[in-house]
Amino acid sequence: MSLVALASVPLLFLLVRRPVLRRLALRNASRRPRETALVVLGSMLGTAIITSAFVVGDTLDASLRQGAVTSLGPVDEVVRTTGADEQAALIRRLSALDGSSPTIDGVLPLTIVPAAVSVSGPDGEVARVEPAASVVEVDFEAGRSFGGDPAATGIEGGTPPPGRAALGEDLATALGAGAGDQVTVYAYGDQLELEVDRVLPRRGIAGFSLPDDAAPPPGGGSAPTLLVAPGTVSRLAATDAAVGVAPATVVAVSNRGGVFEGATVTETAVEEIGASLGGVPPGLSTAKADLLAQADEVGAQFTELFGSIGFFSVLAGVLLLVNIFVMLAQERKSELGMLRAVGLRRGALVGSFTLEGWSYALAAALLGSVVGIGVGRVVAGVATGIFGGGDGALELHFAAERASVENGFALGFAISLVTVLLTSLFISRLNVIRAIRDLPDPSATRPRLRSLVAGAVAVVAGGAWSASGIPSDEPFATLAGPVLVVAGMAALLSAVAPKRVVISVASAGALTWAVSAFGILPDAFEGADIAVFVVQGVILTAAAVALVSHNQEAVAAALRRLGGGRSMSIRLGLAYPLARRFRTGMILAMYSLVVFTLVFIIVLSDLFAGQVDQFTADVSGGFDLQVSSNRSNPVTADEVRARDDVAAVAALADVGAEFATSRTGGDFEDWYVTGIDGAFVEQGPTALEDVGDFSDAASAYRAVLSDPGTIIVSEFFLQDGGGPPEAALAPGEQVSLRDPVSGRTAELTVAAVAKSSFANDGAYVSMRSLSELYGPRVIPNRLLVATAPSADPQSVAGELEATYLVNGVEAESFRDLVSENLGFQTQFFRLMQGYLALGLVVGVAGLGVVMVRAVRERRRQVGVLRALGYEAGAVRRAFMVESAFVTLEGVAVGTTLALVTAWRIVANDTFGELGFSVPWLEVGGLVVATFVASILATAAPARQAARIPPAVALRLTD
Amino acid sequence: MTTFLRKEAPMSASAHDPSTDGSDANPRPILSASGVCKRYRTGAESVEALRGVDFAVEPGEFVAVMGPSGSGKTTLLNCLSGLDDIDEGTVVLDGERIHELSDARRTRHRAASMGFVFQAFNLIPVFTAVENVELPLLLSGAAPKEARRRAAESLERLGLGNRMGHRPPELSGGEQQRVTVARAVAGRPRIVWADEPTGNLDSETAAGVMDLLRDLHRDGLTLVLVTHDQAIGAMAQRRVVVRDGRIVSDERVGVPR
Repeated sequence: MSLVALASVPLLFLLVRRPVLRRLALRNASRRPRETALVVLGSMLGTAIITSAFVVGDTLDASLRQGAVTSLGPVDEVVRTTGADEQAALIRRLSALDGSSPTIDGVLPLTIVPAAVSVSGPDGEVARVEPAASVVEVDFEAGRSFGGDPAATGIEGGTPPPGRAALGEDLATALGAGAGDQVTVYAYGDQLELEVDRVLPRRGIAGFSLPDDAAPPPGGGSAPTLLVAPGTVSRLAATDAAVGVAPATVVAVSNRGGVFEGATVTETAVEEIGASLGGVPPGLSTAKADLLAQADEVGAQFTELFGSIGFFSVLAGVLLLVNIFVMLAQERKSELGMLRAVGLRRGALVGSFTLEGWSYALAAALLGSVVGIGVGRVVAGVATGIFGGGDGALELHFAAERASVENGFALGFAISLVTVLLTSLFISRLNVIRAIRDLPDPSATRPRLRSLVAGAVAVVAGGAWSASGIPSDEPFATLAGPVLVVAGMAALLSAVAPKRVVISVASAGALTWAVSAFGILPDAFEGADIAVFVVQGVILTAAAVALVSHNQEAVAAALRRLGGGRSMSIRLGLAYPLARRFRTGMILAMYSLVVFTLVFIIVLSDLFAGQVDQFTADVSGGFDLQVSSNRSNPVTADEVRARDDVAAVAALADVGAEFATSRTGGDFEDWYVTGIDGAFVEQGPTALEDVGDFSDAASAYRAVLSDPGTIIVSEFFLQDGGGPPEAALAPGEQVSLRDPVSGRTAELTVAAVAKSSFANDGAYVSMRSLSELYGPRVIPNRLLVATAPSADPQSVAGELEATYLVNGVEAESFRDLVSENLGFQTQFFRLMQGYLALGLVVGVAGLGVVMVRAVRERRRQVGVLRALGYEAGAVRRAFMVESAFVTLEGVAVGTTLALVTAWRIVANDTFGELGFSVPWLEVGGLVVATFVASILATAAPARQAARIPPAVALRLTD
Repeated sequence: MTTFLRKEAPMSASAHDPSTDGSDANPRPILSASGVCKRYRTGAESVEALRGVDFAVEPGEFVAVMGPSGSGKTTLLNCLSGLDDIDEGTVVLDGERIHELSDARRTRHRAASMGFVFQAFNLIPVFTAVENVELPLLLSGAAPKEARRRAAESLERLGLGNRMGHRPPELSGGEQQRVTVARAVAGRPRIVWADEPTGNLDSETAAGVMDLLRDLHRDGLTLVLVTHDQAIGAMAQRRVVVRDGRIVSDERVGVPR
């Protein structure tokens, strides 16, 4: 902001101290309010897009940070113990810190049991069930006094007496239950009737749910908790008949300070805990700090994502500004020449233009930052619908930080101001006499020295960049370096060869490289940042626009032939865009950029959405259903296998894990691991991306089953965020797997790499080796079920859920699972499409501005044409033809680029093996919508042009 | 110069002998205006630019409309040619009451029977010289190839054969005005209106353009020329002086010089 203010100081000086420049600069804004409004609208959208990207990041950040309040409250660190004895010992030793530590102000033992919980109907039947609830055993008095703020714990009242429980808000909502209702808890093959005596808010301890071993860490999602006195449910695990995972025993630690401030001293707290226990326990997790860091990271990722995809629209806004200012200069050319002739210095001319642009930029940035908040709100609203469904749903809380809005304003304003300043410098280089006489600049008979020098510099710089970047697989250098060389060569060769031919060949070369580089040098682009794709889009568009702009005559000739050569509207409508090459190129670039990104997203979205069959076949491994049950009360494979409607069952166990690889620099990162047994392979296992040294997927899985030192990892292993696989491990690489509770570690070799499964992007080891590392916490509670040939998988899924209700069974066909995930992706793509469509508004507004100005600058010509016999309708149609021509060209360029890029991506298997297809209906819809919007934007100026009485036009201008 | 103007019956009497004073037995006027009034309104103010003008032009005439600046010369030309509406009176051009025609029909009428030469040339800058000249031909329905051929012929005859592919900004003022004249006559119009055709030219170039117009008149062209230049006006067969929106003098001087 301060930089923006600093940059504005000279202009404010001009505004106050130079009345002539002020009048020159500001008169147009007041004289032509409609155009001013269009200019501000077009420029404003850039700021709006930038601001909204920040706001979307804020919203994600704030929503995830809200998890610190709802699911942790005063809990800053969590130490998972191996059992009640270790828990008691830890409590004894850490309690000593409670009063004396400057950092830690409380420790609290908690026991958590994953369980299914149901509520009965009036006739005693099960009315509703929550299959994945957490039973939190806690002493309420201790819980309420834990940390410095009782309100932050969510605990109210005393510990429920035997036979009673407090329902967490989310579980109460899920069950439709409240105080006085009877609920049933199912765990360890037993059940327990409890009466609800109160409902507690989702906050702190009352919202605490230790993440299931296979689930993501606590965030903003729902937490169906049931709070009871210590020992109420966990005692069921002590019976001989008990099956399932043992209750999780943890010690929660609270740091001094509030919910958020406490996390700032996490490092010191860990040191104190380590000092107190004689070393940091392996089961310690810095839950609050991790959650907040994750929130910041996700927020930043979303800001980057939306900022990057919005970049194209911002660029379109920049092109719009350049176009407008060049047009302004052309329109006022003789006037500017006169001013220069009577003594206005070039610097003053630049100042006058920049001052005018500054006023537009300021108004646009102010308006844009407000609109950006609104756009961010809309995006957050739409995203709530996307993230809010399914398990682990994220509740979005709209947030717009003041700093974000200021940054959006400052960036938008700075971009506009720099654009205006550079354009002003460019247009102020006028020849006074030519300007006064309104003569065109002479076409250069020989290349300017400046062009030759620039070309030589580009060749050298591009060559050096390529030479250093390509061997080291640096993606930007690999992509843009050769293009820079080609551009430089074009500038040099234009001196000795026809410019049109040189530019055409160079553009075609740049296009070819930008499209095919990803396939030719795939290593350079593995895990490439989204910014690389943005650069690719810019190169593609610039090259395509250069190619088309230098071959417009051929395009126009074809169109004229289509019109039979007689249509005066076509003749006139094509003449102007062909003659005004710069202006046409700018509009073309605006449309091409925006349409390119929109069509690309549409095609990509459709590619994924159309792969249900393929992905289902890849992920299912020959099974039909995935059946998960509660870890404290699991359904065994044998039980399900015994059913008549089931042909085969494989049991899998998912547990939370920590992995270290060479890619993580030896640091352990949270992920999860899946234990498999022999049955997993029998139906034809899930597909592999890289089978390594094995002949097929089955052989690779069998090797893992027989060799406890091997592992199969997904191509998305340890990858945060979306997009294509970034840095998949290769067969033969080493991986360290650590149990986060016991701290035991196993060294494993990657045997093969699995495809993204849309169901499980974890890592596979044998059940046996997993049990050796994790002990009894390995519970095979995820079953893969192949139904009998005569059975309907959907029916079997329904029956399994009904039969094993108390086990918290959730059964879903792989097809539904894949469809659900792809649906999520599709919705997200739709959100991005809507966001990108803002760029179309820039394009259409830009075209509107150009056409309004075109009508003004051609009034005399329209008068002449009308005098010569052009009918009013022909004049109107000519303007429409002009607009349609540029729009269609831009749409055609953007669409073609998008389709070719998408096709190359599919051909290169960047996103795995996808089949290429084009959603013509959607693409057609976009093309038609763009075309109609553009025509509508032209309709008013075209009508205005047609209505100009010839005598008036001639009289006013002559 | 080879004739390339339209030879039609109504024109033939004077076209055969344009040097006569036009007093042949009752030639039918190509243009007849009576009681033409034109007012311009600016807010509450109304300015009478033409006050009941009666005027006729016979085929083959070369009429110079003269008068001081602001006298209403250009307004008269605009109203008589149908470029502008009138408030009172009638204008019959080539048998049609042009101000009673719809805009479309009036436009077609203009395309078919009139040519215009403007002071500021007013060529279409995005078209080449030959494209500018072929415009009226195409507008009056000529086939594209035929229009191009005739436009090229016209330019050749006016000595611009080597400038056909140039756009107006690439031509000198004299060349541009010659292209304008070629455009005005290419469609073989019944009447050509010229509004200060030499106003933007130096005297030598202006003389060249006037020679060209006089040659065309000798070939049968009916020409109404607005000028404030006495020397230019003296070249016409007939001089009409306009002052304060009225014709104050209408003098036939016979042979154009």
